[in-house]
Amino acid sequence: MGDPLKTQRWLRAVVGTLALGAIVFYAMAVVVREGQAVLVTRFGRPLRVASQAGLHWKLPWPIDDASLLDMRRRVYETGHTEMLTRDKKNIIARTFVVWRIGDPLAFTQSIGKEEAAEGKLDGLLTNAAIGTLGGHDLSALVSTNPADLQVDQIETELLTSAAPVARRSYGVTIEQIRLERISLPEENVRAVFDQMRAERRQFAAKFEAEGELEASRIRSEADLEAARIRAKGAEEQARIRGKSAAEIAKIYADAHRINPELYRFTRSLESLDKLVTGNTSLILRTDSEPFSLLQSKEKR
Amino acid sequence: MRHVATSSEVGRLAAPIARGLDAAWQRMHWWVATMLVLYTVSGTTIVRPDEVAIVLRWGRLVGDTAAQQEHGPGLLFSFPRPMDRVIRVPVKRVWEVPVTALAPAAALDDEPMSSSTLDPLTQGYALTGDRNVVHVEIVARYRVRDAAEWAFYGPQSDNVMRVEVTAAVVRSIGEMGVDRVLADGRKDLAATASRRVQAGLDGAHAGLELSSLEFTRLMPPFALAADFNAVQSAYISAETRRKEAQAFAGTAVPQARGDAETGVQSVRGAAEGDRARADGEAAAFLALDREYRANPAVVRERLYRDAVERAIAKAAGVRWIPPPVNGRYSGFRITLGSGGPARAGFDDEKP
Repeated sequence: MGDPLKTQRWLRAVVGTLALGAIVFYAMAVVVREGQAVLVTRFGRPLRVASQAGLHWKLPWPIDDASLLDMRRRVYETGHTEMLTRDKKNIIARTFVVWRIGDPLAFTQSIGKEEAAEGKLDGLLTNAAIGTLGGHDLSALVSTNPADLQVDQIETELLTSAAPVARRSYGVTIEQIRLERISLPEENVRAVFDQMRAERRQFAAKFEAEGELEASRIRSEADLEAARIRAKGAEEQARIRGKSAAEIAKIYADAHRINPELYRFTRSLESLDKLVTGNTSLILRTDSEPFSLLQSKEKR
Repeated sequence: MRHVATSSEVGRLAAPIARGLDAAWQRMHWWVATMLVLYTVSGTTIVRPDEVAIVLRWGRLVGDTAAQQEHGPGLLFSFPRPMDRVIRVPVKRVWEVPVTALAPAAALDDEPMSSSTLDPLTQGYALTGDRNVVHVEIVARYRVRDAAEWAFYGPQSDNVMRVEVTAAVVRSIGEMGVDRVLADGRKDLAATASRRVQAGLDGAHAGLELSSLEFTRLMPPFALAADFNAVQSAYISAETRRKEAQAFAGTAVPQARGDAETGVQSVRGAAEGDRARADGEAAAFLALDREYRANPAVVRERLYRDAVERAIAKAAGVRWIPPPVNGRYSGFRITLGSGGPARAGFDDEKP
């Protein structure tokens, strides 16, 4: 065990040093976080800007004062602005910007509060948009022809037009300006609706006509194909019949050539057989066969 | 002398504080020691499975590369504040933001708007490349890709995502015709818009990655719904007619093929039959010829009589007349009946 008096003195010294150190630290240290900057002023006069993250020092208040600034990027959407394109079309455009504080001192001096920056940007951007879009046709914004579209170029022109002014006048760095919406004035939308309606009717009629045409074509082709198949079948039938007739003629000719007289005789008898039907009346002489047999007996 | 006096004056003023400190230390030294220990370990952080942690030391990011800066799930030891500050970023979590800037105002409560025009300030829509109007509603899903950029430099996530998606979709629709947008071009539209959204996020240093872009609504204005439906109906009707014609073709051609084949087979069968009959008749004739050559008179007589008998048997009537006198008949008439057999007889015969 040590001397209690010594321990008490040692404790008093440690606590006193720590308390004093803490007071001095909080009065003089400025911790700048990533994404922040600090503007140090001495009796209100800007002294320096610390934009690197880390521990920075200043003299205690009221000699030096430190104002922390949020250096993060922000998004701001402008209002809807009606403007005229080069081909005299009325459009309503809306843009958005991605911006950040680029020069903390200039920003603090010209704008002061971060909330006020967007009001300044709105006017700047609207002015830039009217000037830029007035130099392009509407087809540069919306077109099915890729060669007409110039949105990238327009956005670059907007940036080129607005960014230097924003930096110089307000200490604001504009990193992107994009066209967010492109609309038409209300009265023009009515005309667009009429045009769309007419187009739809045209499409409907076109579909109907094309469907009818296609159906007719398919039916005609089927009919033609069917006729072609039937004709080919008929041709085949005729060929078979002809070949068969020739073969039959040859068979008969080969047989009948052996005894033409017998053929003529049997053929005559066949003809007789065919010609005499149930409606036939025969007139025979009594001296013809077989009735002649009776006459022969009488004579005998 | 002055120095001693000053020291004793300070000591006299600090004496009550020193006495209070001494008394507190006597009574609460364990409690004070515990608080000191707790403060020392207060920088320890638990990083959850869907998070990474980044450490700021005196405000400056610790580590030069992303691998050094980001600490994965588990226990992370750091110095207590104000020296270190730990920021946990949920990099694995997928966030969702609905984008309704291009949707009609009433779309959210499902009340159809059938006005013959649209106020661009209250009704969202996009212009197509052929200058038609379509309404779009989108849901964008995203996650944090670069924790440090997102935490310290990027703009507010939902805001930047909403405007980037709106701009990308407006631009992508502005390059396409309305029929592509509403029908077969949706996939291309989503792909093009997604690519543009990601490029925009990268340009804005948002530290975000687009996971998916879903079109939850993509349609013509309510006022034109009937006209678009009519086109759809016409298309379906045309398709129906085409399919009916194809069905007809599918039946007619095989039927013709079947008819032709049946006809050919029938003729082929008949020809076979005719040929067989001819063979048979030829064979019969040759047989008859053999008999005829052996006994010509008998065969001839028999054939003749057989034929006459068959004729007499088949005939409706047989009239026997005497042989002509001097080579001619006198008073013999043949009367052709209407529908019945002919009548023959001599004038002097009784009927």
